[in-house]
Amino acid sequence: MGIEMQKNLLEIINTVLDNRTKKKLTSINPEMHLRDEIGFDSFDLAELTVRIEAEYDIDIFEDGIVNTVGEILKKLKVEQ
Amino acid sequence: MSIFLKDIASDKLVTWDLFIDDINSALTYNPYCKSNDYYNVFQQIALSLIIGEEIILLDSDFTDSELINLTGYSEHEEFLRPIDKKKVPLIRDKGEFIEKLHKAPESWSITLFTSGTTGTPKKVSHNFHTISRFVKISKRNTKSIWGFAYNPTHMAGIQVFFQALLNGNSIIRLFGLNTTRIQNEIKNTNITHISATPTFYRLLLPYAETFRSVVRITSGGEKFNNKTKIQLEEIFPNAKITNVYASTEAGTLFASENDIFIIKPEYECLIRVENGELLIHNSLMGSSSMSVSEWYNTGDLVDIVVEKPLKFRFVSRKGDMINVGGYKVNPLEVEETILTLPGIKNARVYSKSNSVLGNIVCCELVRDNEQLNEVSIRTFLQSKIQEFKIPRIIRFVDELSTTRTGKIKRN
Repeated sequence: MGIEMQKNLLEIINTVLDNRTKKKLTSINPEMHLRDEIGFDSFDLAELTVRIEAEYDIDIFEDGIVNTVGEILKKLKVEQ
Repeated sequence: MSIFLKDIASDKLVTWDLFIDDINSALTYNPYCKSNDYYNVFQQIALSLIIGEEIILLDSDFTDSELINLTGYSEHEEFLRPIDKKKVPLIRDKGEFIEKLHKAPESWSITLFTSGTTGTPKKVSHNFHTISRFVKISKRNTKSIWGFAYNPTHMAGIQVFFQALLNGNSIIRLFGLNTTRIQNEIKNTNITHISATPTFYRLLLPYAETFRSVVRITSGGEKFNNKTKIQLEEIFPNAKITNVYASTEAGTLFASENDIFIIKPEYECLIRVENGELLIHNSLMGSSSMSVSEWYNTGDLVDIVVEKPLKFRFVSRKGDMINVGGYKVNPLEVEETILTLPGIKNARVYSKSNSVLGNIVCCELVRDNEQLNEVSIRTFLQSKIQEFKIPRIIRFVDELSTTRTGKIKRN
């Protein structure tokens, strides 16, 4: 389940990166920082929330900003 | 050493002395200013004031077609001309410089472009009086250090710039930096004042430490909610937090400590509410080719809390403008642009509420060319309109959703 979810999240992140003609990632890990490492700006983060919400029905930023891949995975796991 | 600008994104540290030297040694001037370098923009505005010439600010990310649409030209090199140095005496020091800036002639004007409500951006010009109307000059302000968190060619950025410039302050660039760098800059440079959108502040959260040097936080451009305010009070424990209402046409008009705005007696006869919409008397406005009537319809719907003295709260925008993190996007302009792409039959651009930016731009498209996909449409739009206007979610549909009256649904 965890690996599947991580794979899915990688795909969503890559869609957002690709849409902005930014370089796609080959893998993600829980420590990765969304803004500092993946290079997301506020527009990318906004798009990311919408895409995750469409898939999992969870607004990951509802209670404030999350910073890392691990924080997203945690939110998705708790809700499931 | 007195700092004028610190911009780590372009690796610049400019002192007031260097700034004055650069103004003194400028030999040419171009009224059109389009640069992604903050110092260039600030320098050119200051130079325009010193030589008393008009300045026209263009967003650095305007595309060629937007530039032609707005100014008639995609390049503005040919407007570069020499400065008559005989007419511009040498500035000796900061005190004299600021004094000269204040004496900008009546003919001086600054022009910027705002996203219009009809599909074409609107040109708005201000003179020195209207642009500096809300600048507060006092001895207490001379030591302020400003965190610069707006685009320098937009109205809010211009207002922060003038406040800092006319008080001889330091400007620290924060806009466009990543969160860690923003936090470091606030801490390391002891920033005292920040003016930004709620989106900017939300991106600073969560933050385990506090910024104790900041004494004033101003928020504007978007609806400001209580949750954001409480979070801000935690990370800026020494700051007074103010919410402002401003527009490109009128500049800053009102300030409040919460979401209720109280109109000062001197503005009482210049502000009124008609059918729930806020109207502003044209004496408070910059000149715009489109405002000819006595009252300007702001398009902002308000809720009156008390009639006299007038107190109100903002409810929403009339019309269809989408507020994306403080940037106004006109869905009609985006639709018109998408429809110029061969293979697109119909388009609906709408807003979806979003926990990061307040709202996000989405669109539904009807295509008759299956080869068109999100990436190809985005690439096309990147050459036509500014990035923040490009829909972040693109869906392909067989037909567009419409309202019961047959209009395209916006929400």
